[in-house]
Amino acid sequence: MPRGDLAPKISLAGVGKTFVTRDREVEALQPIDLAILDHEFVALVGPSGCGKSTILNLIAGLLQPSGGVVSYDGMAVSELNRQVGYMTQKDTLLPWRTAADNIRIALELKCRAVPRAEAAARVAQMIDLVGLTGFERHYPAELSGGMRKRVALARTLIYEPETLLMDEPFGALDAQLKLLMLDQLQELTRQRRMTVVFVTHDLGEAITLADRVVVFSARPGRIRTVRSVDLPRPRDVFRIRFTEDFSHLHEALWDELQDEVARGTDV
Amino acid sequence: MTRRFDPIVLWQIAVGVLLLAGWEAVGRLSGGAWTSRPTLIAAKLAVWLHGTLYIHVATTLTEVVTGLLAGATLGVLAGLLLGRAPIAAGILRPIVVAFYSVPLVALAPLFIMFFGLDMLPKIVLVTLVVFFLLFFNTFAGASSVDQDLIAQVELMGSTRREMFQKVVAPACMAWIIGGIKTALPYALVAATTGEMLAARRGLGFLLSDAASQFDMTSLYAALFILMLLGLAVSEMAAWGERHMLRWRHAAG
Repeated sequence: MPRGDLAPKISLAGVGKTFVTRDREVEALQPIDLAILDHEFVALVGPSGCGKSTILNLIAGLLQPSGGVVSYDGMAVSELNRQVGYMTQKDTLLPWRTAADNIRIALELKCRAVPRAEAAARVAQMIDLVGLTGFERHYPAELSGGMRKRVALARTLIYEPETLLMDEPFGALDAQLKLLMLDQLQELTRQRRMTVVFVTHDLGEAITLADRVVVFSARPGRIRTVRSVDLPRPRDVFRIRFTEDFSHLHEALWDELQDEVARGTDV
Repeated sequence: MTRRFDPIVLWQIAVGVLLLAGWEAVGRLSGGAWTSRPTLIAAKLAVWLHGTLYIHVATTLTEVVTGLLAGATLGVLAGLLLGRAPIAAGILRPIVVAFYSVPLVALAPLFIMFFGLDMLPKIVLVTLVVFFLLFFNTFAGASSVDQDLIAQVELMGSTRREMFQKVVAPACMAWIIGGIKTALPYALVAATTGEMLAARRGLGFLLSDAASQFDMTSLYAALFILMLLGLAVSEMAAWGERHMLRWRHAAG
């Protein structure tokens, strides 16, 4: 069972999304219902183009649904949702700022007004956390894809938003680094009691981190199955994949996912 | 960066010397009524250097710099604001385009009537020329800022003003600097043209004064000074660009 039994932090009620292109309509997301509780870690998995990213955009208020209601803390999301930190799949680092300056940007805003010295200390701590020591003064163009992802992660985590939306944050990382990052993410989100919606195509990653895994069908996206992950926390991200419980879950979920991946257009 | 000596520089100097020698020869053989001669021009420049050259250069430079500052400030502000306000931009567009369609130096006589013979009409002319170039460049930059960058910073809780300061303005920096680079030679043209029409000082005045007296040596000398000024101005622009847009060259 998911943690807590409160009213949902985020709820999608009958939410669908249709994109209108020049000459036709594309249904990205069929009407779905999904409730995410406070402090819950939910992973969304599914084949490419199944509308997972659309869901994050809807929760962030960057898109409005074609039907249904997205609500956050019981209020309909009708404009940008500033309660969430959003790490998009696309690289949105500011190219004219160094890694350290990119990470610091949220702390510079008036709504937080973090004193300079404290901001510097927190930036240094984040840089250490994501393993970018020595690259503070590099511009995004000078960093590899994986490094840029880590800068984006640090930039989102540093201001500790109460809800974290992440769209395949670790796709570009090598296997060892990915595990280190998963470990840090689990640690931080537990410490700060964040609510997390995590989009990934890596089932193992989803099971390792999440309280619940939501499997989506191929386009047009709809929820195929939802599974609770009852593995005890804190989880050992380096070894959990060798436990029996993990394999059972992985197998069960993979059966669901497999059909959809086969039906997905780009696999 | 250390620059090693390049042998091509020797050849460039050689070609330059050869051209000057040719000019000198033609001048001496033909009597030099129309061509003058580099040695005469050099002598003239030496005389000017000890005399009134300073005041003319200072006048032209003051007009260029003042007009540049005023025009760039106004152009950038207008470009940033209208670039992020598509409806207002749509309304004002025909007016701006109509104004810009007038060859701007053709307004010089009007400004001289309005503002007299001193620096003011030239400053107004330079301001106008620079304003339009900077406005169009900044506008293009501001209206093409990556929407995802803006959304990202807005989600972090930025005010509209902070979003301008931290995303729109820096994103437009390359466009603004490009605009200033383009505007510099135009600013010099505008100031000199204004001076040629009616002035008591300035390099344009020096030029038209020499021409009216058929003083070819002074004419060439004044052109030479303008050339140096033009070179200095574009070198400064290139230097500024390298330093302000370091992140752009970072990958290279």
